[in-house]
Amino acid sequence: MSLFKARDWWATYAGSDEEFDQGCLCVANIDNNSSHFDKIIVGSYHGILRIYCPKPPSFKPDDLMLEVQLQQPILQVEAGRFVSGVDQLHLAVLHPRKLAVYIVSAVSGAVEHGNHYSLTMVYEHILERSAFNMTYGPFGRVKSKDFMCVQSTDGMLSFFEQESYAFGKFLPGFLLPGPLTYVAKTDSFLTVSSSLLVESYKYQTLAVATDANTKEDIGNKKVSGKKLTMDWSFNIGEHAVDIFVFSSSNAPLSIFILGERSLFCLTETGSIRFMKKFEYNPSCFLPYNSVIEGTVNVLLATFNKTLMVYQDVALAWAAQLPHIPVAVRVASFQELKGVIVTLDETGYLHCAYLGTDPSMMVTPAPESRDINYEEADAEMRELQKEIKESTLSSELLPRAQQREDLLISVHVPATLDPVPQSSVDDGDEELFPSITVTVTLKSQAPSPLENVVLSVISSPPLMCNRSSIVFPIIGDRSEPVSAEVSFYSRGGSVPSSLKAQVTATYLANSEAPRVAQTDINFPMNVVCKCCAPMKNANHKVTIDTNKPPVNLAEIFSDMVNDAVIPMAAIGIQYYGGPVVTILASKTSQRYRIQCNVFEGMWLILCELCKRLEEHYKKTKDSVQFRASFMGPLPLQEYYELIDAHFEQRLNQTKYRELLAQRAQQFRTIQRRLLARFKDKTPASLANLDTLLDGTYRQLLALGEAEEECERSIEMVASNLSCGTRLLNLLIKLWTNMSDKDFEILQTVLSPEVSESEDQGWEEITDAAITHLLRTCLAKSAKDQAVGLAAMKIPKDTSKLKKHLALMCDRLNKGGKLDLSSQTGEPFVQQQLQKAVAPLEPLSEMQEEEDETGQLQRVQDGTSSTTDGSLASEISDTESVLSMNNSKPTARLPQLTHPKKLLPDLNKRVLVNPGSEEENMVLKGIVDAAITNGISENHERAL
Amino acid sequence: MAAGTGTMQMDPLFLAMSFYRRRKLEECAEVCTQLLKKNPYDQASWCLKTRALTEQVYVDEVDVDEEGIAEMLMDDNAVAQLPRPGTSLKKPGTSIGHGAPTPGVRPMSQAGRPVSGFVRPGTQSGRPGTMEQAIRTPRTAQTARPVTSASGRHVRLGTASMLSQPDGPFINIAKLNLSKYAQRQNLAKVLFEYIFHHENDVRNALELAAKATEECQFKDWWWKVQLAKSYYRLGMYRDAEKQLKSALRDQDMVDIYLYLCKVYRRLDQPLTAVDIYKKALEKFPGETTLLTGIARIHEELNDMTKAVQLYKEVLHFDNTHVEAIACIATHHFYTDQPEIALRFYRRLLQMGVYNAELFTNLGLCCFFAQQYDMTLNCFERALSLASDENMSDVWYNIGHIAVGIGDIQLAYQCFRLALASNNDHAEAYNNVGVLEMRKGHTEQARAFLQAAAGLAPHMYEPHYNHGLLSLKIGDLQSSHNSISKSLEGYPDHSDSRNVLTQLKEDFAAL
Repeated sequence: MSLFKARDWWATYAGSDEEFDQGCLCVANIDNNSSHFDKIIVGSYHGILRIYCPKPPSFKPDDLMLEVQLQQPILQVEAGRFVSGVDQLHLAVLHPRKLAVYIVSAVSGAVEHGNHYSLTMVYEHILERSAFNMTYGPFGRVKSKDFMCVQSTDGMLSFFEQESYAFGKFLPGFLLPGPLTYVAKTDSFLTVSSSLLVESYKYQTLAVATDANTKEDIGNKKVSGKKLTMDWSFNIGEHAVDIFVFSSSNAPLSIFILGERSLFCLTETGSIRFMKKFEYNPSCFLPYNSVIEGTVNVLLATFNKTLMVYQDVALAWAAQLPHIPVAVRVASFQELKGVIVTLDETGYLHCAYLGTDPSMMVTPAPESRDINYEEADAEMRELQKEIKESTLSSELLPRAQQREDLLISVHVPATLDPVPQSSVDDGDEELFPSITVTVTLKSQAPSPLENVVLSVISSPPLMCNRSSIVFPIIGDRSEPVSAEVSFYSRGGSVPSSLKAQVTATYLANSEAPRVAQTDINFPMNVVCKCCAPMKNANHKVTIDTNKPPVNLAEIFSDMVNDAVIPMAAIGIQYYGGPVVTILASKTSQRYRIQCNVFEGMWLILCELCKRLEEHYKKTKDSVQFRASFMGPLPLQEYYELIDAHFEQRLNQTKYRELLAQRAQQFRTIQRRLLARFKDKTPASLANLDTLLDGTYRQLLALGEAEEECERSIEMVASNLSCGTRLLNLLIKLWTNMSDKDFEILQTVLSPEVSESEDQGWEEITDAAITHLLRTCLAKSAKDQAVGLAAMKIPKDTSKLKKHLALMCDRLNKGGKLDLSSQTGEPFVQQQLQKAVAPLEPLSEMQEEEDETGQLQRVQDGTSSTTDGSLASEISDTESVLSMNNSKPTARLPQLTHPKKLLPDLNKRVLVNPGSEEENMVLKGIVDAAITNGISENHERAL
Repeated sequence: MAAGTGTMQMDPLFLAMSFYRRRKLEECAEVCTQLLKKNPYDQASWCLKTRALTEQVYVDEVDVDEEGIAEMLMDDNAVAQLPRPGTSLKKPGTSIGHGAPTPGVRPMSQAGRPVSGFVRPGTQSGRPGTMEQAIRTPRTAQTARPVTSASGRHVRLGTASMLSQPDGPFINIAKLNLSKYAQRQNLAKVLFEYIFHHENDVRNALELAAKATEECQFKDWWWKVQLAKSYYRLGMYRDAEKQLKSALRDQDMVDIYLYLCKVYRRLDQPLTAVDIYKKALEKFPGETTLLTGIARIHEELNDMTKAVQLYKEVLHFDNTHVEAIACIATHHFYTDQPEIALRFYRRLLQMGVYNAELFTNLGLCCFFAQQYDMTLNCFERALSLASDENMSDVWYNIGHIAVGIGDIQLAYQCFRLALASNNDHAEAYNNVGVLEMRKGHTEQARAFLQAAAGLAPHMYEPHYNHGLLSLKIGDLQSSHNSISKSLEGYPDHSDSRNVLTQLKEDFAAL
């Protein structure tokens, strides 16, 4: 992250396929030229020593003054006065096992580019231990001489007084070698040990301490004499990368230690001057002279290719580098003084100076295209049109694919299994028959489909023996794969559907997940069997037809033993469930279905209608068969089902609330206990543990109760589903509805009773019915203005019941559900008009009248409800004939106030009266929508 | 010369050290593994390998702050349940009055803090009132947070590092004799960092630290800090505080101060933390991490003026500080100085920050500074750079521009696109709702506004708009409910107040 880029001055690659690190770069006037300009000395791990004398603007071959292959890898190069008696700079080269000192001398050629250097070895020391790094300086405060100190990888410091070996010392507590330097002012050595300490050893102490040539001596502490002790130490708490000592005339002596995450500056006595924490990984650094009194500048290179210049702790400059340097130096050349020389691990040698060249970061241009405005306009129009169309149709569903890759087909046999499959897994006392369905999967894809998962979902009490089947591979269409799945009734309840759903999921060849689905329709005898008809039952439904009655045995031939014997009554029993009796009137064209359980009748009624229709189709009569229901609708029974369902839902919410409450209590106790346990002074638990235990048990019990409740919800939901199917069927028969309308009715009053966290069947159905009442079943403009309440669990079901009754009534009066055939108008527009409608001023009087009138009607309504329900109950217990007499008029409960508005409607009174006020509100909405709704700036952070 | 011959002559340990220094950590571990195969008791290479493995997964503990739901709610460290205004991070709204922006000008995060210019760990997450609320908050991929900080990211860090080693973990901590290692300081420190950062085994790390600090007669501040780190992870903040204070008596280090402030922030004592930061600044003047720390606390306490002042001071010491630049820019943007904000954002761009967020902000600044020619360019770049996470925000902001230039059709489409890329984008729902409202589609508008209010109950706009809508169609009760909720989110919203007064009059008239 830097604004500027370091300006290139000179750069070259020193070698290729070679490695370089920290010590490999040295900058000095190594040939002792009288002009005192620096040369760059680079040694590689591959043993090649190079000396450059850079001249801008770019690298020329004659800038390379010397290139020499040495025997061993070069770990470090240093320039100093290493030869006795000569006050000139010599080059010390550290190899793993050798320390050599060379003299570099210039050989002038005939022409300028003939100048080159020659390297002559002065002396060398063979090292016994593998070297790590070295430092040099006037140890022991000698004058104009430099001694050398080599640190080995196992922690021995070897001192060389120029040509002669002085002594060696092991560092105490050594593990891994750290950076090493010499402080001339205090005549001591500094290193950072593995225990994250900066340690300072006096040269004096090192010299006089017990000579320990071997590690064993130190370890066994056999030898007497002075133990090596450190002068001072400072705990920096991190591993060090490098260490430098800086002293100049205008700043105090500072020891800089570059840690892995911070830079420390210590005084010579080992107290901290300042430290700087980094937000990046530093790679190398170099302190240098600052122009401001008392401060030191630090050049610092990072692993994200940035060169920082710090003046003490303040960042003075940041520049981008072309590489990650491992070493940085400052050199002064003939053309330019203060050049920053950096070397990276591949040997890229870069000389640069700071300047305000913008950073290299150039934002890549977005894919630019020459815009042809006419074409773009045309494309835009096209797209707008498409968007408009897609929003108008308001169907957000994607279009079905032309061809599915996988086809599912099911084959349902006509007969049941000879041996019931149900016995295989549950060993119940009662055995119910099963049916085995063959599911066949056929691949249409060009390449085989892998890992196709077939899942089977059946609604209780129907069970299947394999709910999930995996096909590892499905080949081409010539080899379809099939599986046999057995279904059986578990018994005990009325099935809410005679369907099972088969779903196959697979990955298409384009790696997109795909789904293929199909339904299995079961024959009736999977769930019920024939039995003796029952004379009396609690619930009865009578169906009128326009044809003479038929032999029931013929129609239900699959249920009885002998279809020839005419039967006027037939009993059908659900496995483990109630008995439904069908009575065919001998004289009139009526059938009656009766059962002790209201919802049990749906399947039989449905089957009866279906079979009758098929039966009469065969007879080829000119008159089409028609069944009808004379009413009244058994709404009261249906309400009971709704109430049962709703009650369980309320129970569930109650349980959940309790659970939440107890859970909170539990956590509170936990917190208290935690505080007690954490307390240093032990206090009594004050029975908190008992309370915790008790609450825990309560939680468990509540959890079980909630689960129980969930199961019973499933039960009542199934019942409600059956009841809904029955009611829908009856409404269809009652109002003589078309199939299309019936479809809509099925979606509005849905037999799919599904539960989710936040939406239940009651509110969904209520919303759907309310929508119907507002749109296609609306009587007046007022009805259309009813606002929809938010979808949440209602307080009670009275509103739903009211709306349901209202819908039935309006349907009976000829309301049609399928609007598309009649109006042909787009739905959205219609709604738009309606939405505007309520704002037309109404006279206050009229509204008030409405309101009072409604109140009365509500009271009427409640009373008439009871009347109505009583009446319907009475008529139910009467015989077939008497029922025929009962008028199918407005005996329905709660239908006596058809003009009743939904309560929300009254609330708009106050906006309407003054048109001025209304305008104001309207204006306010528009203004507010702009100033507050939209002007908010959504700012995302970096 | 071939690469092999040169390196073959070299001491492998030296090479490994060199690799480590150049941050070629995997190569370093590799060489050390070879060395250890030859000599399993080679402490030096063992130590180096441990360091290399640790460094691979190292994250500065000062910056790691993930407050899990359980920590937040089972918090028994809060000093006061009802803190005095401006003294708690939990009630950020209490200090409104000095330089705090209103939500009408600067959007608020769920916690009731103004949206910051820089996302940091743990600062933008809300503090829900109850556990139930916390669990029920919509948990999307973008807002999911761990239930406790003992789970979540820390565990993942620990396991991820193990995957790369097919022979199982390098060091079997369960079999270590920790007291033996505690005696050897040079090994123990490396081992501790490995256990803490690489294995995330805080308990064993704590045990080692406790033994080691005893071993060095409680004189090494480093061990005290490590103890504190372990205590902090274990949720024992008071013990951590004690250790850190003791460490400070041994030696002044920036890290100790930072950890101590982190503890105080977790204890919800922002003012103490600021005091500590200031004390540390006396010792280490100009340390940007300390300055940034104070600035963040001020920002979280809604004291923007002070925060910006401190961020400026940070820039004095480090003019490449991205967080400071971004926060100052955001502040200028929301105080109606888009031109100045533009300069700051441009600087970030020049520094090499190159992402969708920056271009979005640049685009917005350009637009409000009336440099229309650049606006669309910036957004074009933002779109091309946007990832799945921020695509919706980019579209949302383009939608704003479209509203600004009056192209309602475009605005609508932009908001729809924002919703397509993130269907939990409450702000976009709100704006689509408003646009629908203007088109007269009351029902759709209501549905959108309700969705927005459900997704982001902290925003006042959807409530207010819903209130207006209900008022318009005459549903005074719903209107009243919504307006009240709007005022909860933004008590000084004058438009809401006006509507409420009118509603009250109307109810009185009834």
